[in-house]
Amino acid sequence: MTSPKAERAGTDTDNDFAVQTLNLSRKFGDLTAVDGIDLGIKKGELFALLGTNGAGKTTTINMLCCLLKPTSGTACIMGYDVLKQPYRVKEIIGVSPQETVISERLNSRENLELIGRTHGIEAAELKTRSQELLKTMGLEARAKDQVHKFSGGMKRRLNIMMALVHNPRVVFLDEPTLGLDPQARRAIWEYIIRLKKEKTILLTTHYMDEADFLADRIGIMDEGKIVALGTGRELKNSLLEKQTMVIQAPDLNPQAVEKIRTKYAEVEVTGDNMVISDEQLSFQEIVDLLHDAGVVIRSAYFKEPTLEDVFLQITGKELRE
Amino acid sequence: MRLLALAVRALKETYRDPLALGFLLGFPLIFMLIFGAIFSGDELPSFAVGVVDQDNTMMSQAFASQALPAVPVLEITTYDDTDTALKDLKFGELNAFIVIPPGFGQQVSSNWQGAKADILLNMTYDESDVMVSEQLIAIINEVTRAFARVEVPVTVNALPIHVENQIGYIDFIGPGIITFGLLILIPTAARTIVRDKEKGFLSRLLTTPTRPVDFILGYSLSNVAITIAQIIIFIFGAWAMGMDIIGNLGLAFLIFFLTGLCSVGIGMVIASLSRSENQAEPLAWLFSMPLAMLSGCWFSIEMMPSYIRTIAFAFPYAHTIEAARGVLIRGVGLEAVGADFLFLVGWAVAIFAIGIILFRRSMRS
Repeated sequence: MTSPKAERAGTDTDNDFAVQTLNLSRKFGDLTAVDGIDLGIKKGELFALLGTNGAGKTTTINMLCCLLKPTSGTACIMGYDVLKQPYRVKEIIGVSPQETVISERLNSRENLELIGRTHGIEAAELKTRSQELLKTMGLEARAKDQVHKFSGGMKRRLNIMMALVHNPRVVFLDEPTLGLDPQARRAIWEYIIRLKKEKTILLTTHYMDEADFLADRIGIMDEGKIVALGTGRELKNSLLEKQTMVIQAPDLNPQAVEKIRTKYAEVEVTGDNMVISDEQLSFQEIVDLLHDAGVVIRSAYFKEPTLEDVFLQITGKELRE
Repeated sequence: MRLLALAVRALKETYRDPLALGFLLGFPLIFMLIFGAIFSGDELPSFAVGVVDQDNTMMSQAFASQALPAVPVLEITTYDDTDTALKDLKFGELNAFIVIPPGFGQQVSSNWQGAKADILLNMTYDESDVMVSEQLIAIINEVTRAFARVEVPVTVNALPIHVENQIGYIDFIGPGIITFGLLILIPTAARTIVRDKEKGFLSRLLTTPTRPVDFILGYSLSNVAITIAQIIIFIFGAWAMGMDIIGNLGLAFLIFFLTGLCSVGIGMVIASLSRSENQAEPLAWLFSMPLAMLSGCWFSIEMMPSYIRTIAFAFPYAHTIEAARGVLIRGVGLEAVGADFLFLVGWAVAIFAIGIILFRRSMRS
């Protein structure tokens, strides 16, 4: 894991970065929604901003796509400054908002073509692109139906397609699978994976598995700041300084628990389960201690840290769906 | 073009929504039917009546300068000739004018002396305001009988301006209902914009290279198309229901079109000041319904107190109704409705300018 400062954006001429922010901040009255973010997202990278509701993810995206002016600091998209060159930025980005924002009385093709026309794409080219997208996203058969007749998952897919129809270089996906069932989420994940490498993608989510499964790198955001940054593996490895062992035993007695507590730093007992954490754990020693105390062990294993453990340790908060 | 794409999209959103379309087109037509069927005016607050005294006797002068002005609901103006009086009637300055024919004084004197008399008055009135004209005939008849002290009704030769037309209530209410249809463009225009703002569609489009001017023109263009469709449908509807169209249809269309622009502008102002449909909707209705009442859509504005008329004429719609009735029913041209026309042009330009400024400001925030 690297510190956020170490990933500080380079200059406008630094060609490796698609998105760079420099001390990006936004206040709403007394509330600081985004607090001095320094971030660099490489070209072709899928970067996930992970955080609870209100962490500042959407505010960050809104500043990057020129919907909201930063209170201080700035950001560049492909070298274009969001403050000085907003229309150049808007030409090369595609945004899929958190809420499903589509024109309900238009059909899916018309929705796509509307966005395409706002980007000045020729009718013939637009027709081809819309057709391809509808096919890829499995909406071809419903292309002529007004979208108010669509299911939530279909609308969500269209919401993402509208961010892609003009072939943008940088794509912002704000909570792309929010509120969807597992099957619909999986369909969107598959499409996002296909987009990787073709586009630079900044995705916000509060789903751990989504960030873990999709992202090349993850930034954990809390109270307007990026508090941890790295690949999923790097973030999890940061917790490997501490080992965790889970024991399941039906007849855990107070003497046995007390014996373990004298040896290891953290011991939690819930029903038949005992979770032991410390810098170094000895599997054999723990099994022997419990056996000597008359405990019959049903199962015992070392627990791999999850992104949730990382998040909990860093922010002190749990992510809830 | 971006603005065309936006305009077409806004239009599709409206015409593919049966409820919104029904409201926009059906609501005024229902009003036309209901009011046409049930309304009957029975109050007479103030009528402008001209008098041309061709008898020029002491008796006729007393009738013109004392008897008629003594009636509280009449505002009497004397004229030297019928041509000037007719011109003022056509321009809407008068509701009617009375010609006292030669021999009037002699006939009244004969009646006072107990001899048989044939008292005659000629009255020319604006038949487009059917409620006013009916009541005026009754009032003139009554005051003349009182003056001449006769029991039998006085013969009032009624000379409506368009004797060839069978003027009905639809002729009076037609222009008013068309104007009402254009008044309800205020909530419609406001709703289109605020809905996009509230549901985030405007924000989504703001992440594209679309410029503020594209939004403004796109929304305006779709509403202008709706306005044109409304005017054509309403004029045709009123004509189909029996409204006579005497004057220049092109001029009438232009008057209605300017009025539609004013409504779109007011809608844009309301949308810019509102954050949600829940705010915009009541605000728009609060504005448009009282204006419909005050402006004479359903009631003759002559029957209202003068301060109400002052308020009504500060807004475009009373001017529209007056000018449209003049053009469609009395057949007058731009020379007669020029002031109303200019007022509408001024209002449309001003409200659009305010709307654009406020809308741009609301987009920035």
